Amino acid sequence: MGSEPAGRRTALARLFGSDQPRRVGARQEARLGWVLVLPLVAVMLGLVFYPLVEGLSMSTRSINFGTGVADHFVGLRNYIEALGASETRAAALHTLGYLILALTLEIAGGLAIALVLNKPFRGRGLVFAIVILPWALPSVVSGVLWARIFNPDNGLLNSLLLQLHLIHTYKVWFASPFWSIAFVTLVHVWGVVPLISLILLSGLQGIPENLYGAARVDGAGAITRFRYITLPLLRPALAVALTTGTVIALAIFDEIFVLNGTALNTRSVMMQVYLTTFQQLNFGQGTALAVVLSLATGMFALAYMGRFRRAAQ
Amino acid sequence: MKPTLAWRVFRIVLIVMIAAWSLGPILVGVLTSVSPQTDVQAVPAHWLPGALNLDGYRALLGSYQKEGGVVVTSEAGSFLHAMFNSATLTVESVLVLLLLAVFSGYAFSRLHFRGRGLIFGGLIGTLVIPVFVLVVPLFRIMADLHLIGTQIGLILIYVTANAPLAVWLFYNYCREIPIETEHAALMDGCTRVQALIKVVLPQMTSGIAALAAIMMLAVWGEFLIPLLFAPTLATKPVTVLITEFFGKYTTNYPLIAAAGVLALLPPAMIAILLNRYIRGMLTGWS
Repeated sequence: MGSEPAGRRTALARLFGSDQPRRVGARQEARLGWVLVLPLVAVMLGLVFYPLVEGLSMSTRSINFGTGVADHFVGLRNYIEALGASETRAAALHTLGYLILALTLEIAGGLAIALVLNKPFRGRGLVFAIVILPWALPSVVSGVLWARIFNPDNGLLNSLLLQLHLIHTYKVWFASPFWSIAFVTLVHVWGVVPLISLILLSGLQGIPENLYGAARVDGAGAITRFRYITLPLLRPALAVALTTGTVIALAIFDEIFVLNGTALNTRSVMMQVYLTTFQQLNFGQGTALAVVLSLATGMFALAYMGRFRRAAQ
Repeated sequence: MKPTLAWRVFRIVLIVMIAAWSLGPILVGVLTSVSPQTDVQAVPAHWLPGALNLDGYRALLGSYQKEGGVVVTSEAGSFLHAMFNSATLTVESVLVLLLLAVFSGYAFSRLHFRGRGLIFGGLIGTLVIPVFVLVVPLFRIMADLHLIGTQIGLILIYVTANAPLAVWLFYNYCREIPIETEHAALMDGCTRVQALIKVVLPQMTSGIAALAAIMMLAVWGEFLIPLLFAPTLATKPVTVLITEFFGKYTTNYPLIAAAGVLALLPPAMIAILLNRYIRGMLTGWS
C-alpha cells in the first residue's frame, strides 16, 4: 500500500481508462478488502458458525441437566420428542396464529401509513418521528406500557368497555384463548408496523411519478391506478416486508414474557425453547426445537423470495 | 397531483389516527407513572391523575439514603445502575458494530476480492437463525472463558447478533453513494486506503449516523440475551431489571410505569433527534 510512485499510477490509470481504476492495483484492492472484512469473518466464525455446529451437535445428544442423564448420541430422538410434545404443538399453533394475524395487520397498516407519508406535506418530518417511536422502544417497555391497558383488575380497556356498556364485568383478557393471542399480536404489531411501513414506503418512492400521470390521462381512477401500477411495482418491497415480518413474528418472545409470562395459552415456539432449555434444563431437546424453528424461518424466507422472483419475470 | 380537499381532510384524519395509535400507549404510561396509587387502582379507572404523584420516580432516582452512617439504598441503586449499564453497553457495542459494519460494508460494495460473494452470502444467511440455536453453546463458550456477567462478554454477543443486519444496511447504503469521487481520488494518486479515509468516509457521515442510531436502538432494546448472559446487577441492563419489578411490585403500577418511561427516554430521544437519518437509511435519501 502506497509502494508505487504516484506519477506512474496516474499515467497507468489514464492509459487504462478513467472508468476502471480498479484494474490498477487489483492486488492492493483485494488485500485491503480482506483486511477490512477479516474482523467480521473472525467474529462470525467464532461466535456464530462454531456455536451453530456445536448447537446442531447438541441437538442430537441427550443433554439434560434437569434429569442428569449422561451425555450420549441419540440421533433424532430429541427432535421427535420435542415435536411430539403437546406443548410444542400448542406453541406452534399459537406462533402460526401470531404470524398470520401479525402479517395481515402489519401489511395493511404499514401500507396505509406508507401511502399517507409518500407525498411531502408540512409536518411530515414530525409524523415520521411519531411513527418510528413505537419501533424505537424496547419491546419489554412496550409490554409495560400496554399492561396497564389490559390489566384485568383496573385496566383501561376494561374500564372503557364497561363504560361503553360493551361488557358487564371486567374480563381477564389473558385467560381467553382468542383474546390473549389477539392482544399479544396487537402489542407486537404496535412495535413492528413502523419498520414495515418504512420498507413499503421505500418501495412506493421507487415508483416513477410519470406512470401515474400517464394512467390519469388515460382516465384511470385512483383504485385502478392502485391495482395496476402501485401493487405490481410494490412486489419487491412487499417481499422484503413479508420476509422481515415473518422472521420477526416467528421469533416472538419479549412481549409474551412481559404480558403473560410463560403461561401455556400464549406460549410461542421461542418461549417453549426458553422453557425447555432454561427451566427444564433439557439442553438437547431445547436446541433441537430451536433448530426446527430456524429451518421453518428459513423456508418461509426462501418461499417469499422465490415467489417474488417468479413474479418479477 | 394537486390533492383535493376531500383527500387532504382524509389524510389529516389518518394522520391523527396514526399519531393516536403511536403515542397513545406512551401517554398512558406517562400518566400512570405520575398517578397516585388510588387512581391507578380505581374501578372504573381514572384516566387522568387527580393529583401528581412522583413517588415512583423518587423511588427509582432518589439519592442514596444514609441512616446513622450506614447507606440504605432505595431502588435507586439498582435502577440507576441498570440504566448506566444499558448506556455503556449501548455505546461500546455500537462503536464496535460501526467499525465492523462500515469497513465491511465498504469492502463488500466496492472492493473485489476472492470469496467476497461467499462471505457476504454466509453473513446474510445468518439473519434467519434465531439467537436461540446459538445461545446454549455460546453460554458454554462464554462460561469457559469466564465471560458470563462481564461487559466484554455481552458486547461480543451483541455485536455477533447485530453485525449481519448492520453490514447489510451499510452495504446497501454504500451502493447508493456516488463512486466518482473515489475514482477521482484514486486517479489523483491516492492509494485505496487514503481514498477511503480522506474521501469516502466523509461522504458516508449520514449513513454512519443512521447506522449508529439504528444499532443503538437495537442494543438498548435487547432483552433475551442479557436475560441469559447478564445475571448480576453489575452488567444487567434496564430491560431485564424492569421485568423483575413486575414480580417485586405487583400492584405499584406508578413505579413500574415510571421505570418504563425512564427506560424509553434514551431510545425515544435517539429516534426523534436522528429520525431523519434513520428514515434515510431505511427508505432512501431524498
